[in-house]
Amino acid sequence: MHLPHSTLKQEFVKKWIMGLQRCKFSNKKMSIFERKKAIKLSADTAMASARKGLTCWSRALISNPDRPVPTTTRRASSACKKIVKRSRRIRRTAKCGAARKGQITRSIAQCLVRKRTQILKSLIPGGEFMNEVCLIEETLDYITSLRVQVDVMRSLASASARASEPHN
Amino acid sequence: MSSRRPSSRQSSGGVSRISDDQIIALVSKLRHLLPEIRDNRSDKVSASKVLQETCNYIRSLHKEVEDLSDRLSQLLATIDAESAEAAIIRSLLM
Repeated sequence: MHLPHSTLKQEFVKKWIMGLQRCKFSNKKMSIFERKKAIKLSADTAMASARKGLTCWSRALISNPDRPVPTTTRRASSACKKIVKRSRRIRRTAKCGAARKGQITRSIAQCLVRKRTQILKSLIPGGEFMNEVCLIEETLDYITSLRVQVDVMRSLASASARASEPHN
Repeated sequence: MSSRRPSSRQSSGGVSRISDDQIIALVSKLRHLLPEIRDNRSDKVSASKVLQETCNYIRSLHKEVEDLSDRLSQLLATIDAESAEAAIIRSLLM
């Protein structure tokens, strides 16, 4: 299931160029904002379709490309900060023995893992429907694909910048 | 790693949590991807720390895609650049 970086990169470039060429014909005059949306949409779709339906996140992204940033992320991460603060306070003031402290630490750790897993699920497309095992595999694949996407977009940006420089 | 039993066995209500073995597998793979964890040579990386670093990394990648889309929307005056420029760019990418 895991493709080498270069294969994934070629797939992405191929699909993205196809997507960008389609945009050209649909709307001649675009505002800069619309152009940005089209570029991002075509990049995300290309990234997802380069996986050829083999991963959950890619199928979820294709079916719902305009995902807004979820607000649960902010709530869950502020909940995590409260847990960490609480754990520090408990460890400072607790007058109990080592065993009890160990128990408190373990339950706090479990709480943190739960909250952070929630945050991760909100970041991966389709993550809210995955079980824990699937989530880890999907996360690794998603991160690899995101890195390819950033890589290619960065190359294109610097190549375009170079190409548009005045020739002397 | 620790004397704790894998947390998935302690779960209640049928909701399985990420077990220690899965975390170990995840860490070894993420180690290649996340610079913060890669520099930490110890095997004792907590599950919550790994999750936090993963989430931060994904968020930073998303932000970078946004910024690059912004930059490209300014650089590419039309979606498909002039055929000569497009040919140059394509050759640089492949």
